[in-house]
Amino acid sequence: MVKSTRLVAAVLFGLFAAPVSAQETPTLTIYTYDGFAAEWGPGPGLKAGFEATCGCTVQWIAADSSIGTLRRVQLEGDTTPADLIVGLDTAIAGEARDTGLFADHGLDLSGLSLPEPWTDAQFVPFDYAHFAFVYDSDTVNTPPKSFEELIALPADFKIAIQDPRSATPGLGLVLWVKAAYGDRAAQIWAGLKPHILTVTREWSESYNLFLTGEADMALSYTTSPAYHIISENDQTIHAALFDEGHLAQTEVAGILKSSKHQDLARQFLAYMTSAEGQKIIPTTNWMLPVTNLGDQLDPTFATLPQPAKTLMLTDAEIEANSQALIDEMLQAIQ
Amino acid sequence: MLRVDELTFAHPGQARPYVFSMSAAPGEITAVSGASGAGKSTLLDLLAGFLIPATGTMTLDGRDLLPLAPEDRPVSLLLQAQSLFEHLRTDSNVRLGLPARTPRHEADQKVKAALADVGLVGLDSQRASTLSGGQKQRAALARTLLRNRPILLLDEPFSALDDATRTTIRDLVLQLTRERGWHTILVSHHADDITAIASQRYVIADGQLIAV
Amino acid sequence: MPAKLTATTLPPRPLRTATATLLALAIAGLVALVLWSILAAAGASTGSASRVDIPHLLRMTSIQAGLTTVLSLAVGVALAWSLNRLRFPGRDLVVGLFASAIVTPGMVVAFGLLSIWGRNGWINQISQALFGQPIGNPAFGLTGILFAHVILDGAFAARILLARLDANAPDSLKTGQSLGLSAWQRFAILDWPAMRGSMPGLAAIIFLLAFTSFPIVLLLGGGPANQTLEVAIYAAVRQDFDLLGAVHLALTQIAVCSGVILIAAAFAPVPASFGASVAPSWRDGATARLLQVLVLLLSTIGFGLPLAAVLVDGVTAGFSAVLTQPAFWWAGLSSLLIGSASALLTLLLALGLALGRAATPHAPIRTLLGVPAFAYLAVPAVVLSLGFFLLVRSLGLAPAAAAPAVVILGNSLLALPFAMATLGPPLQAIAATRGKLVRTLGLSGWRQFTAVEYPLLGRDIGVMLALAFCFSLGDLGVIALFGTQDFQTLPLLMFRALGSYRGNDAAAIAAVLLVGTVLAFVGLPKLFERIANAAR
Repeated sequence: MVKSTRLVAAVLFGLFAAPVSAQETPTLTIYTYDGFAAEWGPGPGLKAGFEATCGCTVQWIAADSSIGTLRRVQLEGDTTPADLIVGLDTAIAGEARDTGLFADHGLDLSGLSLPEPWTDAQFVPFDYAHFAFVYDSDTVNTPPKSFEELIALPADFKIAIQDPRSATPGLGLVLWVKAAYGDRAAQIWAGLKPHILTVTREWSESYNLFLTGEADMALSYTTSPAYHIISENDQTIHAALFDEGHLAQTEVAGILKSSKHQDLARQFLAYMTSAEGQKIIPTTNWMLPVTNLGDQLDPTFATLPQPAKTLMLTDAEIEANSQALIDEMLQAIQ
Repeated sequence: MLRVDELTFAHPGQARPYVFSMSAAPGEITAVSGASGAGKSTLLDLLAGFLIPATGTMTLDGRDLLPLAPEDRPVSLLLQAQSLFEHLRTDSNVRLGLPARTPRHEADQKVKAALADVGLVGLDSQRASTLSGGQKQRAALARTLLRNRPILLLDEPFSALDDATRTTIRDLVLQLTRERGWHTILVSHHADDITAIASQRYVIADGQLIAV
Repeated sequence: MPAKLTATTLPPRPLRTATATLLALAIAGLVALVLWSILAAAGASTGSASRVDIPHLLRMTSIQAGLTTVLSLAVGVALAWSLNRLRFPGRDLVVGLFASAIVTPGMVVAFGLLSIWGRNGWINQISQALFGQPIGNPAFGLTGILFAHVILDGAFAARILLARLDANAPDSLKTGQSLGLSAWQRFAILDWPAMRGSMPGLAAIIFLLAFTSFPIVLLLGGGPANQTLEVAIYAAVRQDFDLLGAVHLALTQIAVCSGVILIAAAFAPVPASFGASVAPSWRDGATARLLQVLVLLLSTIGFGLPLAAVLVDGVTAGFSAVLTQPAFWWAGLSSLLIGSASALLTLLLALGLALGRAATPHAPIRTLLGVPAFAYLAVPAVVLSLGFFLLVRSLGLAPAAAAPAVVILGNSLLALPFAMATLGPPLQAIAATRGKLVRTLGLSGWRQFTAVEYPLLGRDIGVMLALAFCFSLGDLGVIALFGTQDFQTLPLLMFRALGSYRGNDAAAIAAVLLVGTVLAFVGLPKLFERIANAAR
């Protein structure tokens, strides 16, 4: 019955059916978010690059968001077809670890170049960028240099941010304010309130508000200007650097314990963190690589100003406090 | 013979119920007249089965009609307006008088013959909405011919027609009633029509049918 | 004599009633299954204690949704009234443009709104150039939410109500004209009764849409002060992974919405009048005409311009970059297939339910037959996506393979209330005005449908198909977890482009979507009117 249903579905929707993989080669099934697997994202390049050497087939399965991939494996448990998840971030890594679904990666990551040395046993970083507000130098002459300077600006200086309950940068901002100001976080949020044009569901909505001139700044990444420089030759978009320091979003990948292709999965992670894999990521995912690529990195990235100070929060701090912090933020800007 | 005996009905909030008794012979036209609001439409609805009487009997040649649903009653209905589906062609309207499973060529023949019987020729493929008042009533009569139910209820069927048309349609109804042996009940308040074709006459007054 | 629906004037159609009952039960069963599968997955886990202030959210959401409903209906009535009276070149296009608002992705409409009314929008720029100062920023906060919702829903209401006005029987129009009715009398005596039958269904739909609105409320709301319960449910599922809490919140939302549906359904259906759309020769007086032109002008500025801005943005963004991508064409093809299949399924479901409802003289049964279809609209999208994923898995199907079928089913069910609001009132009207004739002729149900109902419904079926088609072009929210990156539709491609800095691609796709939608709304009703009305 199930078989015939699938057959009918395959005939009716041959267009959309997942490609049938050859029996001889193993298939590495990787869950990710859809932007990563999109044809302009890093997915296709990584697949082609890894398949050239692994004697295997890489199958990307894209949920609508990175949190969606985690929720899916949580629902599937041991029966998940996924070997790997690519695209979680450090703000949910702790929660993901607690599910007990992830295996140790066993890789030596000491050679990576990140703002802080990497010590995580389960998750492997593959790109990062600092959260930052972006502005357009045509309309904003003197961008604020700190949250406090931002607060002191006239009330018609507007920022667009994201809801921490639906967008990872939104949660990132909550954690960033906490990391920078500790107990004063609520006070900072109250100060920001008059400047908040709106709190959108997705990053893309805030960013579009900024691009269409509705907001003076939008919460995004320090690497966002690279897209405009490289793809549109537009030099006017900049990230505002804050003296308090910035929190980084590091995207990570992890191997699932239930995977039957542990070695292959490990090889994929090794490939993804190698120079060969890393060079695909910056101009497709618009994030910084985690290895030093030298002149293989588009020179534009080197011209982007980087924050002098990187703020950190531990997994434990994030996990224990994120709900309370979100509530505090919502309360303050209500 | 159609016999109606003490058919009792009251609309919600109506203090005194209607009590109708009458009879109608085959091949004859029985007229019912009465002031506006006297209950002519109620009588027709009771006869057609759209209203259920509280008490009383209604038989055709001894057969009890009251348990029958409107579509099962041996009744054809011809209204003042909306006798036809205006969005359909003339012949499609007439064909609705035949059972659905009638073979196409047989249906075509019967429809043509019926239209000829009522003197409506050459308008088969015209949309009903484009027909004149007289043509519409002719088409509706043609449909009644095909259905051939022994009771024909006419609700002010000639009131929308000009004098000349009115006379011919009236005569057509009388002719068909005689030929087919229909029990035709004509509701009208036109004395002309009634004296011209009815052989028996009732008036509704005080909620009752009074033979005149 | 007023036409009444009674057991004796309605032809008995047990098959129709049975079909409708079966469909209603199936939809209710599906909703129950979705919720049950989530509860089963939640198992013993208690989740975190709900942090949501439900009464507060309910109050805020109800105020917003109530205002949206009242404003949308008022705007819809005024606009339908004006469009019914005025004839001008390009009228069909304007009608199509208004109708397309509700099926255009909300985000597209919201950004179109900002292009006109935003801080940097056309109006402010014009004001700046003419008077040296901007008019301010009305596009954010509760006004912004209401504005966007009224654009979406008011224009939709106008489209549905216009169909009812256009169907006013030519004879009653002639009578009215010869009586020399004033514009107000004409509205009160002829127009209002024709529209009344559609009001409860429309009100319920608009309320539900506004109640469950999520991205627009966040985008234009200006902060968490303006929120909907749907946001809290989203957070419970995605962020807290509190499945139990999510089901509780979803049930709360369904319960509140069902209350609204029941109230709307309690209004006795008012049979609409019937007739082919004819160009009226009857013009209202000068004052009324002036008012009509004014309403139309304001609506065009308020509603038409934001949509026009979407087109302009698309053109300036350049189509060539998008048109040369194979992904665009594949997504377009997927959208066409999904839209067509969903529209057909919606038509079947809507006919099944609406014919059954029109066949029963009992008001409570009519209500019960309608509620499940509307209640599905009240199930939060994120709960649906989770529930369908779990259902498909428990059936042993591969999610990716089942995805197209789930999308088609899910989107059909979402479009179903719209379809029923379109087809329901005219079917009731046919039952009321033609019931006697159909019954004395002893027509079978099938003959009643092919000879009477289908030909009279032609145009409405066209409107309904256009609605369902565009509505279903590509909302993939229901398969968010299914993992189908090869399975793209145009709206999804647009959101992916937007999420990857590719604003120009997104703008171009939005414009393509809008053009396709308008074409569907102009073309399909005409096409189906012609097919159904072919002389028979």
